[in-house]
Amino acid sequence: MSQFWTDCLARFETELPAQQFNAWIKTLRVEADESGQRLRLIAPNGFILRWVRDRYLGRIEELARQFFPGPMNIDLVIDANPVAITDTPEPTSSIVVASVDKRSSSNPAPSADNYPDYEKTRLNAEFTFDNLVTGRSNDLARAAAQQVAANPGISYNPLFIYGGVGLGKTHLVHALGNEVLRHAPEKVIRYIHAEDYYSDVVRAFQQKSFDIFKRAYRSLDVLLVDDIQFFNGKARTQEEFFYVFNALVEAKKQIVITCDTYPKDIQGLEERLISRFDWGLTVQIEPPELEMRVAILKKKAESEAIALGDDVAFLIAKNLRSNVRELEGALKKVLAFSRFHGKEIGLELAKEALKDIIGAHNRQITLDLIQKTVADYYKIKVADMFSQKRTRAIARPRQVAMWLARDLTPHSLPEIGDAFGGRDHTTVMHACRTINDLRVKEHQLNHDVLVLSQTIKA
Amino acid sequence: MSPSTQLLLDLQPAQPPTLDNFIAGTNQELLSRLRALAEPGCFDALYLWGPEGSGKTHLLSAVASLTLRKRPVMFLDRRPASADFFDLPGGLLIVDDIDSLDEAAQIALFRLYNTARMIGLGLLLAGNRPPLQLDLREDLRTRIGQTLIYEVKTLNDDEKAAALQRHALERGLKMDDGLLRYLLAHGRRDLPSLMAVLDHLDRTTLERQRPATLPLLKEALQLQRIPPEHEPRPV
Repeated sequence: MSQFWTDCLARFETELPAQQFNAWIKTLRVEADESGQRLRLIAPNGFILRWVRDRYLGRIEELARQFFPGPMNIDLVIDANPVAITDTPEPTSSIVVASVDKRSSSNPAPSADNYPDYEKTRLNAEFTFDNLVTGRSNDLARAAAQQVAANPGISYNPLFIYGGVGLGKTHLVHALGNEVLRHAPEKVIRYIHAEDYYSDVVRAFQQKSFDIFKRAYRSLDVLLVDDIQFFNGKARTQEEFFYVFNALVEAKKQIVITCDTYPKDIQGLEERLISRFDWGLTVQIEPPELEMRVAILKKKAESEAIALGDDVAFLIAKNLRSNVRELEGALKKVLAFSRFHGKEIGLELAKEALKDIIGAHNRQITLDLIQKTVADYYKIKVADMFSQKRTRAIARPRQVAMWLARDLTPHSLPEIGDAFGGRDHTTVMHACRTINDLRVKEHQLNHDVLVLSQTIKA
Repeated sequence: MSPSTQLLLDLQPAQPPTLDNFIAGTNQELLSRLRALAEPGCFDALYLWGPEGSGKTHLLSAVASLTLRKRPVMFLDRRPASADFFDLPGGLLIVDDIDSLDEAAQIALFRLYNTARMIGLGLLLAGNRPPLQLDLREDLRTRIGQTLIYEVKTLNDDEKAAALQRHALERGLKMDDGLLRYLLAHGRRDLPSLMAVLDHLDRTTLERQRPATLPLLKEALQLQRIPPEHEPRPV
């Protein structure tokens, strides 16, 4: 039995590129049944299992027929108790590693399940109208998309959706495609990013397979093209698309296009295409207002079965205003942080987690910036930072600036001394000690230092 | 070269970067994520950022070599071209210095990002700024903002002292606490520069066959000084 598998491995190693061999075949384990008529192949996770079943199982069965005299059944199963392969796990984090593993391997399952479907339509089943949050900024676009999904090819053709980056255009067109499929599974739908369309054209050109290319696109019931601004300056791609567009519209097949600007403003696109984009309906998606951002966050949290308080949702929504995608990243961060540290999601935890995203405490801070900010704050001249004057009104701010330089920059004490009019590093050390002492005693000074530190970092 | 100088056989102790020899400090959560990323079946997307010298490249190379034994991995650094990006189903793509990607490479990364979840591709990206401040195509920048983001946090003084002590020990260099404290107070405060001072000190002590002393340390530090006028000015 093990001889068979060794042979099998050897065959695949010659037949497949090394990367694919290592990723899919080598990770399998083989076990024999007592009867000698069954063979069990054990995959480390569901994703690999599906991949192997769809692509390689046929070949494995073929090899088995050649190898064994009698019939042989091959079962593909998932490893029931996977060995945790962690490199010398630290006692503090090994549990977490395991739980992260479990989550991440279950995460891609829904998309992996639909893998063959994905190849065909390239629709992401996770994007639906149900999980699209609607507000003033996108309700028109949503209504139009739903209308088109209900009557593809009849209501508005083409449907042209435009709006800034990360506002949910892609979500909307995927939802539209999924909705059409739900009502009419027989429809042939294809979602394609403009950049991928371009490479399809290039490939057809290289392989002289324009006939296949044309047939493939003209047989569609619904064509969803994302980010059409990528056609900028690609003449041949535009020409091909022009013909596809005409053929589909004539046959009353639906076209949906998204773009980052209004049709008239698209750069480097032929006039005849632009004028056609106006035939149907053009709708805009605007950036979501605060309330909608909060609603989006709560919806996403709900889909992860997490209770997200209003205070935390508002904190995230206020800090990330321009697009939905970054809201999602921020929420993801807060969840990961709370899981790792085993703490409830609260305002303090969220603030801490968001630091990584907003980068609050890490701007390029220079000695120059510190000197200017401190001089402004105390209303003295920047030149006083380098001068030899030793009156209290000037010396104290200078000491504060040195303390901040020590605290906020990676410079050494001698370098800081140099920057403050060629002073010795012992002077800097003295300044730091003085400020440390004074901060305990003088409330006002401590306040000054904190405000300055905030200002410089912000 | 004076006659008393000992010629050196320049053998640097080889220390391939691993996740275990990274001084974690407050980066525990990040490290556990990175370990998970090496496993087949983990298709997360992560973005690390931090200033020069915070250890991003160390972490990326460590993940690359850890992953190598388990699943396909591709490590792109030094301004990869668009042709360097290709689908790697089931694998892990690591890209360093994404701030330096040119237009075509950005589009290539953008396309891979869009299909990553579908073809089962893990992503590990690194740059020196948080996504909100990255100077990239807006559609790519926001996608990076959608990943799980970690700042690589620099060490505090105690952690740095521990790291330096360990580095010195690996080289067989005896550093007493006084010397270490002096180095921390007077050197630049990023770890790579401090390590470089230690390396220099190590070489001088061997060449002159003397133990590490304050004067020798000061000499090593002198070589590191960057005059303030050479420091980049804010624009």
